[in-house]
Order: sequence, then structure tokens, then C-alpha cells
Amino acid sequence: MVSYIIRRTLMAIPLLLGITILSFAIIKAAPGGPVSMLMDPSMKPSDREKFEEKYGLNEPVHIQYFKWLGNMAQGDFGNSLIKRGVPVSELIMNRLPNTLLLMLVSTILAAIVAIPFGIYSAMRPYTKIDYTVTVGSFLGVATPNFWFGLMLIMVLSVNLGWFPTGGVSTLNAPFSLWDRIHHLILPAFVLATADMAALTRYTRSSMLDVLKQDYIRTAMSKGFMEKKVVLKHGLRNGMIPIITLFGLMLPSFIGGAAITEKIFAWPGIGSLFIDSAFQRDYPVIMALTVVSAILVVVGNLLADIMYAIFDPRIEY
Amino acid sequence: MTALLELKNLKTHFQRRKTTIPAVDGVDLVINKGETVALVGESGSGKSITSLSIMRLIPSPPGKIVDGEILFNGNDLVKLSDNEMCKIRGNDISMIFQEPMTSLNPVLTIGEQIIEVLMYHQKMSKNAARQKAVEMLELVGFSRAKALIDDYPHRLSGGMRQRVMIAIAMSCNPKLLIADEPTTALDVTIQAQILDLMKELSKKYDTSILLITHDLGVVSEIADRVVVMYCGQVVEEASVDDLFEEPLHPYTNGLMGSIPSLDGDVDRLYSIAGTVPPPEHFPVGCRFAPRCPHAFDRCRNEAPALQRKGSRSVRCFLHDDKEATV
Ligand SMILES: Nc1ncnc2c1ncn2[C@@H]1O[C@H](COP(=O)(O)OP(=O)(O)OP(=O)(O)O)[C@@H](O)[C@H]1O
Ligand code: SF4
Ligand SMILES: [Mg+2]
Repeated sequence: MVSYIIRRTLMAIPLLLGITILSFAIIKAAPGGPVSMLMDPSMKPSDREKFEEKYGLNEPVHIQYFKWLGNMAQGDFGNSLIKRGVPVSELIMNRLPNTLLLMLVSTILAAIVAIPFGIYSAMRPYTKIDYTVTVGSFLGVATPNFWFGLMLIMVLSVNLGWFPTGGVSTLNAPFSLWDRIHHLILPAFVLATADMAALTRYTRSSMLDVLKQDYIRTAMSKGFMEKKVVLKHGLRNGMIPIITLFGLMLPSFIGGAAITEKIFAWPGIGSLFIDSAFQRDYPVIMALTVVSAILVVVGNLLADIMYAIFDPRIEY
Repeated sequence: MTALLELKNLKTHFQRRKTTIPAVDGVDLVINKGETVALVGESGSGKSITSLSIMRLIPSPPGKIVDGEILFNGNDLVKLSDNEMCKIRGNDISMIFQEPMTSLNPVLTIGEQIIEVLMYHQKMSKNAARQKAVEMLELVGFSRAKALIDDYPHRLSGGMRQRVMIAIAMSCNPKLLIADEPTTALDVTIQAQILDLMKELSKKYDTSILLITHDLGVVSEIADRVVVMYCGQVVEEASVDDLFEEPLHPYTNGLMGSIPSLDGDVDRLYSIAGTVPPPEHFPVGCRFAPRCPHAFDRCRNEAPALQRKGSRSVRCFLHDDKEATV
């Protein structure tokens, strides 16, 4: 098992390098540039050259890449162009906990609702309850997060005043757990609905497939009650693809929340990404691109490893 | 001999939209203590549905036992609650299936799949159940049972998995073992080993067996009595010796003709002309009439009843007492 993990990790390294080259190239190819963003019409061309020199933007592209890669390997993503002097790593580290909290809560929320519904739907397919769950989850999948989020803010926050309209906590107020939770509820709920819907569908189809299998009939013939058969014999098999799914969902933990974070003024990685993209804050964009790429690879790796742990048929 | 299991006029029907599918349509069948009864008949004649009805494992909806009794030691299983039935299933009556490759749970160890039954029905402790599971695996012929118990099923061959299934089924000393084509998916040599094992265990534990099979060769080898099914009904029932010496029903006769001879004469394999009609289109009158070489007018209008003939029974007008001319 350990050697399998090491092998899979080593295999990921060339992939990661490729990703860094690609993201570097894409950013370089994008129109506009940090300099045009920072120039104002009164600047002279010589100022521009000075500026490019200062940030190393006049060097050959491959040198720029290697410098950037080398620094990154040491955890140095450079300084933000917009917020002068603030290291990118600091920007990210300030916001990461907020995103992780939001993601963790919404994923747990999605799982504890979706998995039981999915299982029940699969146990009683084509009944009224199943249809209701199906329609509900299609609605959940089809509803755009930004629209749903805005609606909730309008009705629950603005009209009814039950929830704050955004942020992680009340400004300038001392820390209070309830205040934090109060701020967390709406964005976590909005994020959870989409995952919830998809996860219900996955669970249903996976369990539907499993419950048709011969070993379920065997378990029934042993005299166990249906509930035990489904939970012990069915769920362990049905959860294999679902658990894997969580690994694959990991990267969306950064990008997937961007719009929701923005709407709820949640100071997380996602909204940082959007802001930096609009401001062409290159070092931040590149750092975030690389971090999400790493997460994709790590997520895949985790999915594979979990698969190997949960399915004894996998040879490694 | 006393009856362990007695089916009386068992009817299991399926409902598909507005059509009723009478898959099992009035089956009478007796299994005595310690006896091995073979249930034979072509595909679609209702053998599996009969056995699943005994286990009360008919998928519902669409299936339902609509009439009849399943007397097990005198108790009608049809009337039991789900809870009561769960105490019998896997304990007093257990079952093995045709597909050994897919009948074991791939993510549970072999040991766990035996242990769970023992802990559930026999209320054994985990350690005692583990001990017993090793014994059961040795009993069905595994020499390295202690190591096997922590393995997962995927490395075992079909024959070995069927042995594990037998170990699971026999672990609570059931009074009745239902085996639905347990050897159909296996190689010929393995088939013989599995049948021998079942025969040996049934002798040792005085377990009755209901063996469902297509293969009359298998029947002659291990059964005491044979029940022949056609179109959801029993058409003939006799001891193995009587049946092989003189089949009474024209359908049984046809089936006998389909035993492949030793030189592998495949031509004779399908000697009954035509096919089994689907349950929603059973003919009125004798259900075998469209395929029967001896059919006469009465057969097409009137349904024959299962009649006793000494120690055996048959459902055919040729053997009807009133039909003196034939
Ligand atoms: N779920 C179901 N819904 C509708 N009809 C069914 C269902 N299951 C079985 N049947 C019907 O019941 C009939 C008998 O099926 P059964 O499986 O008992 O046959 P069998 O004698 O075991 O055949 P085989 O030798 O192929 O296993 C079939 O013809 C089929 O039409
Ligand atoms: S009753 Fe008639 S049709 Fe039916 S099996 Fe006997 S002879 Fe053939
Ligand atoms: Mg069958």
C-alpha cells in the first residue's frame, strides 16, 4: 500500500511540472499585462522600462519561468502587484481558512442530506418519494448558485433581516461563535444545495445498481432485515464511487466557490481569484492557478488511494 | 416419513401494468425430512419463482403470493410477519444460487460473510463464530481455512466460491437447503464435486434439499424424488427410479429425450418441439397441448388436474381414470 502511494505520488510530479508550464504560458499569452494596468497616461516610456526591469518582466520568457518556479518551490509566490509589497503567500494564507471552513461545512451538510435521500430513493425506486427526491435534486442542479444566493440575500437578509448580507463576521465586533455561524449559514447552504443535488443523484444511481446485485439477494437469503442488508452489504459497495467522487471534488473547493464567495462577500480564495483576475494581479493569479492545479492532482491521487483502500479487488 | 415442507396450490403472480403474469400457478409439492427433491423443467417454467416464494423473497412489487400455503413444519410461511420470516431465512431454510461469481459480497471478507450469519441466528460471540466459520470452511473442503477466512472472495474460482456459499448456507444447520441450479455455471468436473459435497452434507446433517436443475443427469445422481414443472404447474411427481423407468407425462418423456447421451449427441438435446409459452399466454386446456404429440380434443378445452397414481402423480388426460379408451 505504502509503495503504491509513493509510486502514484512520483508519477504526479511530471504532471505538476507540465501544469506549471501551461499555466505560465496561458497567462503570458493573455492580452493586456500588469504594466498596462499600472501605467497611467502621464508615465513616460522610460518609466515603463524601469518598471519592467524591477519586476523582471524584461527577461526572456524561459528565465522568467524558471525564476518563478524556483521561488515557488520555496513557498515564495512573489508580491502582489496591486497591493504593493504584500507577499502573495500571505494573501492566500489569510483567506484559505475562510474557504476551507465554508467548503467543509457545506460538503458535510450536502453529504448528510444527500446520502440518506439517495439511498432511500434507490430502495424504493419509481415511488412518489423517489420522484420527489429526483425532481428536487434536478431543481438543485439546475438552479445557478449566484441566482439562488442573490434570492436568499434579498428575501432572508434584506427583506426579513434574518441573516447578515455577507462577510464572515460583524465588522469591528468582538469574536462570537454565534456571529460566525450566523454569517456562515447562507453561503454554506447555497454551496451545499448544488453538491447535495448532484450527490443525491450519484448515490441513488450507485445504490440502484448495487441493490440489483446477486450478493444483495444472498444477504437477504441470510435472513437480515432489508435495512441491514442495504446499510451493510449495499452501502459499502455503493459508497466506493461516491468516496472517490469526493477526491475529485477537491479542486472545485477553490474555484467552485468563487461566485458564491463573491456574492456573500466571503473573503476566501475564490473571491481573491476573481478580484485578481479583474485587476490582472499576475503573481496572485499564477499562484492560485498552480495551487488549484496541485489540488487537482492531489485530488486524483486521493481518489485512487481511497479506491484502493475501499475496494479489495484493486490490485496495487 | 414426515413432510418438512408442503406447498399447497401455491400461486405467485406478477403484475405488469394491467396484465397478470401467473409465473407460479397452483404448485403442489412435498419435501420430506432428509429427502432430496429435484425440481426440473425448461427455462421459464417457474422453478426459481417457486423457490423464491418459499424463501418469501419475491420482489414485491411486482410479485406477490396470491394464493396457497407454504407449510414448513406445519406452519404456514405465507402468514408469517417479515420479522418472523427473517428468523427462518438463513437459519431453518437457506439457499444457494446459480451464479457463484457474483453471489458473494466483494467488499467483505469470506469469514465475515459466514460469521455474520452465525452471530445473527445463533447469537454466537464473534470469537465463537469465527471458530465455527473456520470449521465450516474445512467442512466444505478448504484445507487452509484459517488463512482464507480473512481473504476477499475475488481470488477464488467459481467452484470455490460455491463451496463458500454452501458453507454459509449450512452454517446454521438448516432443515432445508434450496439450491437453484448450483452447478450450472461450473465446469463439469467441478459440478460433480459440488454435488457430492451437497449429498454428503445433507446425509451428515439430515438436511432436506430442494435442487433446481435443468440437468436430468444430475437428478439421477443425487435426488430421491423428482418434481417436473411446466408453465407454473407441477405436471409429474415420482421417485427417481419410477420416473426414469417409466415417465408418465408426455412432457417428462420429452425431457428424458433431451438428456445428452454420452457421445455428446447434441441433436437430441431439444427434442420437444416448440417453446414454453410465456405465462401471460398460457393456453386454455392442457398447457402442454400445443407441443404434445398425444394431444386430443379434450386436452385443448379442459385443464387436467394433478392426479395420484399409486406412489406418484401426473397431470395428463392419458392417465385420467375416466379416459378408459386411451
Ligand atoms: N420480476 C418478474 N416480473 C415479471 N415476470 C417475471 C418476473 N420474474 C419472473 N417472471 C416470470 O416468471 C416465469 C418463471 O420464471 P422462473 O425464473 O421461475 O423460471 P425458471 O423455471 O427458474 O427458469 P430458468 O430455468 O431459466 O431459471 C418467467 O417466464 C417470467 O416470465
Ligand atoms: S393432457 Fe393431453 S396435451 Fe396434455 S400432456 Fe396429456 S396428452 Fe398431452
Ligand atoms: Mg431459474
